[in-house]
Amino acid sequence: GVFTHLEMLETQAHEAGRKQEEKEQQEEKLASLQQRVEELRIQRDQLRAKVDLQQKRKSGKKEIVSHAAESSPGAVLDWKLRRVKGMLQIFYLTGISGKLTKRGVCFSISTAYEGTYLDSYYLDLLTKPAVQIHRHSIPIFIPLEQISKRYLQTDIRRFLSVLADHLNAYARRKYQADQLQERFSDHLEGSLQRNSLCNLLAFNYKVPSEGKTFPFSARLIYTDLCCSLPTEVVVSCTGKCLGMWKETAAAHSELFRRMALHKAFCTFISAGEEVD
Amino acid sequence: MDISKCQAYEDEIKLLEEEIKLLAEQCEDIQQESTFYSEEEILMAIKAFQSKFQRESKEHESRSDLKDQLESLEADLSFLMKFTHIQFTSHSKRTVERTRNRTVQKHRISGKCHSLSFQLEFQLLEMQDKEKVSTVITDLSIVMESGEDSNVSKFVSRTEEHGDLLKFFRSLSSYAEWYEHRRSTFLHFK
Repeated sequence: GVFTHLEMLETQAHEAGRKQEEKEQQEEKLASLQQRVEELRIQRDQLRAKVDLQQKRKSGKKEIVSHAAESSPGAVLDWKLRRVKGMLQIFYLTGISGKLTKRGVCFSISTAYEGTYLDSYYLDLLTKPAVQIHRHSIPIFIPLEQISKRYLQTDIRRFLSVLADHLNAYARRKYQADQLQERFSDHLEGSLQRNSLCNLLAFNYKVPSEGKTFPFSARLIYTDLCCSLPTEVVVSCTGKCLGMWKETAAAHSELFRRMALHKAFCTFISAGEEVD
Repeated sequence: MDISKCQAYEDEIKLLEEEIKLLAEQCEDIQQESTFYSEEEILMAIKAFQSKFQRESKEHESRSDLKDQLESLEADLSFLMKFTHIQFTSHSKRTVERTRNRTVQKHRISGKCHSLSFQLEFQLLEMQDKEKVSTVITDLSIVMESGEDSNVSKFVSRTEEHGDLLKFFRSLSSYAEWYEHRRSTFLHFK
């Protein structure tokens, strides 16, 4: 009767209201999207004009109009700031970089293995009354005190150079050992033993040949701390080995002496696989 | 029908954002060239900051921060060039690839160490892995006037092959110093 009729009208009104709300929301959304599109179009056109202008100037050298005429001093200095920062980044790549401090200089020594940059170390020096090391991040097993005693007061450049040689050699030895563990873990028997200076390495490894594997053990000693190749190598064939494996051990020993550890492994493993 | 209009706008927004990103990069690349602003223009900009008619405002404060920062970094750069005897005479770079955690830039640098000049080109790859940023040099190309010394050209090709930019600079430093010492000794006895 009347009651259900009333209910029906209520539901209809509710429904209509809801639909109206939905419609309004959609229209709002559409309007904001449209606005966004217009804003982006303007931004895009401005950038396009800017780039066109820059390219025109680049090619038409005869009429070089100053870029600065349409930039604020702030933009010019901002550009210059970015350039200076870029140049300082290049110094980082050269191995020796630094920053002036209130009481001296804070040097940064970077290390790398071929094209891969590794850790960098800082050395905060005070220059008055005499040159002295204020703070540093040089690892304790690098003979910093020895090197500074010898060079710091007389020749700072030499001091940094010698220190950088030590740090780079250490970083490269460490890199080789890390690479061996990461890339050739299948060929290693047990764990690779090393000291913190990474100038004493001992490991057991196996070489595949004709379906079998032959076990070797190697010991590498790097007595020159500024060198990343070993000075002493002992490779021996463990277990039952025939004469020819003694030759292989000698060949490996020679490889380890001449080239980086992970590269040597690459060489004899791929050679062995070729034979198979 | 409204839904498809929405979609059309959203698609266009996406396209425009892409375009803007590319244009901004192009803008950036052109600005990377060292001759974008001349030395005079830069000096004029610095003077503008020092002008006593500058309005006291927040903008002015941040600008003088900019000036101080610039002076500080320029002092660092000047010190490094004097200390290492490495002077860079030009530097330009171009972004070759940029993704969320990988950037590759092509650099072209010329300079000299003492009296020996060099020109370098290389690609610098920077990768972000969690918090670590790794830096790798590839495609290194070195040009040096080696003159009479064949050791120099041998050394240059070896470091080029391995992309060993750091070793190049470290060795260049010591070689240039030795060369300089030899040259001045020779002149002394002339």
